[in-house]
Amino acid sequence: MNEEVYNVALKTALTEIKNICPDINGSFILMNNGTLIAGDGQAIDSSAERAVSSIQDLAEKAASVGGLDGLLIEGENGKVYVSRINDMYFIAALSKQTDLTYLRNVTGVILPTILKVLDNISPETAPPTPLKPFQHFPQTQFKPAPSKPLGKEEVIEETVDEAEAPVSPEAPEVLESETEIEAQDEEEEEAQSEAEAPKRLINLPSQQLIVDKFGGLMVRSDTVQIDSEVLQRWGSLMDVKEIREVDVETFSGKTARCKAKVISDEKLEGRGLIRIPEKLCDTLEVKRGELVRVKPIVPESD
Amino acid sequence: MPVKKKIPQIETTEQVDWAPRIEVKAQLADLRAVLERIKARDGVVGYILRAETSASVDIKDPSKIIDYAVLSASTLESVEGLMEAFGLGKVCSVIVLGKDLKVLLLTVGEHRVSVFMEKNVDHDLICKELL
Repeated sequence: MNEEVYNVALKTALTEIKNICPDINGSFILMNNGTLIAGDGQAIDSSAERAVSSIQDLAEKAASVGGLDGLLIEGENGKVYVSRINDMYFIAALSKQTDLTYLRNVTGVILPTILKVLDNISPETAPPTPLKPFQHFPQTQFKPAPSKPLGKEEVIEETVDEAEAPVSPEAPEVLESETEIEAQDEEEEEAQSEAEAPKRLINLPSQQLIVDKFGGLMVRSDTVQIDSEVLQRWGSLMDVKEIREVDVETFSGKTARCKAKVISDEKLEGRGLIRIPEKLCDTLEVKRGELVRVKPIVPESD
Repeated sequence: MPVKKKIPQIETTEQVDWAPRIEVKAQLADLRAVLERIKARDGVVGYILRAETSASVDIKDPSKIIDYAVLSASTLESVEGLMEAFGLGKVCSVIVLGKDLKVLLLTVGEHRVSVFMEKNVDHDLICKELL
């Protein structure tokens, strides 16, 4: 019901915006839970879903500029305008002559106002699903260490699920004792996660290294060679004996997790190189001399 | 002192024709000179210039090079997807607005340029200068 109210309100808003700005050929709202809302007379077809997927991809990559706030694409036959409103994205396909300032003013006033009104009318009409990041964001391997212990997040998710579960009034005592036990468990988990926190909060070092190819009959394609000095430094930074695995990220965004060994050729030591087997180079589409970013992986056992 | 690196780019058999060829006789050297001038402006963080076989990167903060390069490359892919989805033809220019920075992406002759700048910089001026 809540979702319906929200959807209807936003759908109407999109239709009204289109009435005010006839240059809009199509408009959508991408909600923070991944739901796509289209204006009247527009179908959410595969192309709209593809567009949304593109925006989600871009939003993920835009973390390096502080997150995606807006996007404007000028094309041969029109424009695409994307604007972030609260936790949602307003996406519009526009004709070439569209007055963007006018559109910005209209959308920047109407949509936030509607959202605020919906929130004020009834707190229950707040977005139905929990505020989560976009669902199909792929987990990149190079995400920084979590800012808070993962254990806590898991605990929170568990409690939310439990809160949503139907409560039977017939067995309050059992539930209370269960809750107490759960509360104790949570405290224990929290204490555990706090104890583990210093390890998890390590800011993983990364380094840009120059690619050097190598090959041969006995070469394992899943093992790269790195300066012993670099591996030792990472080891001491992360307080582990040995770095066994690293993530390699290329200039074009391709990544691979590989085993790491010390460079076998002494002549090549200390030059800031990463020696990558030919096969892996092909997979990563990197060539000799290119830069890649290398990040050590914390061994689970340590 | 900003670090300037020249990184050979990956050769791909499938070259994506993501933007119309703008008829400007921009020689690479001229383009670099223009970009250097642009980079010297207040608020401009750096640029990435991609040719078919190479890429020049000049970013004030070298630790951001790969992040920006990945953003630049993935923006082109995403934008292409969006344009296809909406049937709006080839891309002329793109502005990505981040919370901290914005990025101007455009094609100049055979080269793809990404200019990273602070949000208060007038990207229209830069666009005009490049075209």
